[in-house]
Amino acid sequence: MGKTAKIKAVGASTVAPFYPHEDAYDDMFAADGRLRAHYAQLHGRMSTLSAGELADRQRALEQSFLLQGITFTVYGGGEATERIIPTDLFPRIIPAAEWAHIDAGLTQRLRALNCFLADIYGDQKILTDGVVPRELILSAPSYRREMAGIYVPHDAYVNVSGADLIRGEDGGFFVLEDNLRVPSGVSYMLANRDAAKRTFPEIFGSARVRPVERYPDLLLASLKSMAPEWRPEPQVVVLTPGIYNSAYYEHAYLARLMGVPLVEGRDLVVHDNMAYMRTTTGLRVVDVIYRRVDDDFIDPLTFRRDSGLGAAGLFNVYRAGNVVIANAPGTGVADDKAVYAYVPDIIHYFLGEDPILPNVKTFLCRNPVELDHVLANLDKFVVKAVGASGGFGMLVGPHASAVEREVFAARLKADPANYVAQPTIHLSTAPCLVEGQIEPRHVDLRPFLLAGAEITVVPGALTRVALRRGSLVVNSSQGGGSKDTWVLSESETAP
Amino acid sequence: MMLARVADSLYWIGRYVERAEHHSRLCDVMLTAALDQNLAAVSVARRAISAFVDAEDSLGREVSFAAAHTLVLDRGNRGSVVASLSRARENARQVRDQITTETWERLNLLYLRVISASAERAFARGPATFLQSIIADLHLFKGAVDATMSHGQGWRFLLLGVYLERAQLIARLLTVCFGDQSAKTPLEDHMTQVSVLRMACALEPYLRVYTAEIHTRNLLEFLLFDEEFPHSVRFSIKRMEDHLTTLAQPGAADRSRPERLAARLSGRLEFADMDETLGPGALLSTVAQECSAIHDAVYETFISYPLEQRLPA
Repeated sequence: MGKTAKIKAVGASTVAPFYPHEDAYDDMFAADGRLRAHYAQLHGRMSTLSAGELADRQRALEQSFLLQGITFTVYGGGEATERIIPTDLFPRIIPAAEWAHIDAGLTQRLRALNCFLADIYGDQKILTDGVVPRELILSAPSYRREMAGIYVPHDAYVNVSGADLIRGEDGGFFVLEDNLRVPSGVSYMLANRDAAKRTFPEIFGSARVRPVERYPDLLLASLKSMAPEWRPEPQVVVLTPGIYNSAYYEHAYLARLMGVPLVEGRDLVVHDNMAYMRTTTGLRVVDVIYRRVDDDFIDPLTFRRDSGLGAAGLFNVYRAGNVVIANAPGTGVADDKAVYAYVPDIIHYFLGEDPILPNVKTFLCRNPVELDHVLANLDKFVVKAVGASGGFGMLVGPHASAVEREVFAARLKADPANYVAQPTIHLSTAPCLVEGQIEPRHVDLRPFLLAGAEITVVPGALTRVALRRGSLVVNSSQGGGSKDTWVLSESETAP
Repeated sequence: MMLARVADSLYWIGRYVERAEHHSRLCDVMLTAALDQNLAAVSVARRAISAFVDAEDSLGREVSFAAAHTLVLDRGNRGSVVASLSRARENARQVRDQITTETWERLNLLYLRVISASAERAFARGPATFLQSIIADLHLFKGAVDATMSHGQGWRFLLLGVYLERAQLIARLLTVCFGDQSAKTPLEDHMTQVSVLRMACALEPYLRVYTAEIHTRNLLEFLLFDEEFPHSVRFSIKRMEDHLTTLAQPGAADRSRPERLAARLSGRLEFADMDETLGPGALLSTVAQECSAIHDAVYETFISYPLEQRLPA
């Protein structure tokens, strides 16, 4: 556990907590019910606002999201409806020292993972040395043989990522997932910040919150740093699957804030091993494609043949070094849930350092001894399918019925290599406004990282909230919400 | 630099918002006439919307209300106001990165309003108030377009759509009202002429030029040839010509088509004579044909051109 991660409750005042302490670590109140010092201001504001005023602010917040069109599309019932992602009024606050620890840990991890990707698509030393089993990598569906031997500038295979962090019971942070396949959510971080400034202007002003607003220009700089030197003014574009994609708002948002075109597959044309886009005045060369389209759909000639979302021949242009695709195809193998278990070893192997942020203990069911242990203690584990994401295909042991566990055990035995298991962790909680009451809800933390010539962790994050009481699932596809996250600057501890 | 797909979407935003505004106005005028029980005026309004709605030939108030409801709130009707606004908004969503937040929010707000459950109630309670607020909101949208978007290519494509649609709609309105006067009763009734002017958003500007003595000849002259009135056919074509001339690339011979067509039509309207406006082969049908030729030429030049001609040098 990180030493810096423990927050002392010094200077904390004794106030009546809004809710009784539960098992999990709470961001605002310590176990003895005392208020953590960095929450004092917000607490003061929360106590003085009446339930009616809080409800008004919540309503104004939701209206502004709907108006801006920050919605995701839900399909079903014959018609597609647009919904806003529920957003909680109260910001989550992270002190500077704690953030410094997260920043160092994530930077270290991404450096190691980029080295790892360069190695497995290059000399494969780590596989030859037996640190990571060769067959685990080569048999993973997300491993792209086509990437072998391709030159990637700065070895930056992953340019954009957003790790999922959770707090353990003593408050220390763990990395739960690395999310190297261009995760979404960054637009919510920016929109939440925008909203929080309007919801709590009084305390935002004096809290010395570090800005997240530079994300778009840092992203653009990272993308440009990937272009070859002989293209001094590289043309960057954002490639979206189109308006029916649930993250379309984000694609448009980032393109607009970077000032670059938002293209769809049908706008791209490949000719003579160069990539172009169709403009009103003819074809224009494209240098860097920030793609928000999965590997499978980038190029129907190389990957899925039925894809209409990419451009035919694009991968060849990439191979020839005439266009940059960010993230590089094939990065998904490094955030495979089974490979995840090896990340501490990967950090040791490539950097010779101890991991700053720990992994959650992970049992690989492909390994018979570990499988037996998992099966014997199924009621204590969270079991996840290796290839799935978004909270689907998983079993939360303590919350499942005996029948559900039995059914899952059968699936586990039938295909053990497809599963990993982790002990159930009580996600930490943060205060949320739920139906007019201030109540604790489980949260995780998704900070966003950029890598090109160098690695940057943007000082802010998307805090995802499990809005149902007691629920541990924070995914937006399953009833999760979000809240703004304030990272305080160093000087906040100064008198 | 602008993506061809983006230009396409912006152009159609312009066309759809103009169509939504025009149809709202037709319905408003028709319902007012029905309220006044002015049968001639109802009949001319009914003729104006007949291209978009199947309405019984009865002139009762209930029928007018049902026809207006179909043209405004029926999502299954392709020409309805709610369908046009949905498409405009869908196009805007596709080019969300190209239009300003102010512009987007005006359109999105209007869209959310017309699709909400309360729209039905508001329309039933007071259709005139409802329609006028839609028209006012569309004016706000166009104001936001002018006031916040850069007056570059994107803005020009959007306005090109607005003016092309407007020229077509006004030409069609005049054709159905005056095109075959032999068959229908001549429109000499004062209230009916006022209705036509109101459907073209032209009543007050007309009165300032010709006073309240309304003559069909003056009315046609005003809606076709007035140089300063923004809903006249000539004004709309002249704006299209301006936008297309600016959008055209100098020196590219093969792209001269849409602005050449617009300039030709514009010149024709500038020097036209009132006596050639009606009857077969007359100016109104030329306007309709030339507008659709300009539309095709815009597509060929800017949007769906053959690739081999447009590789970078």
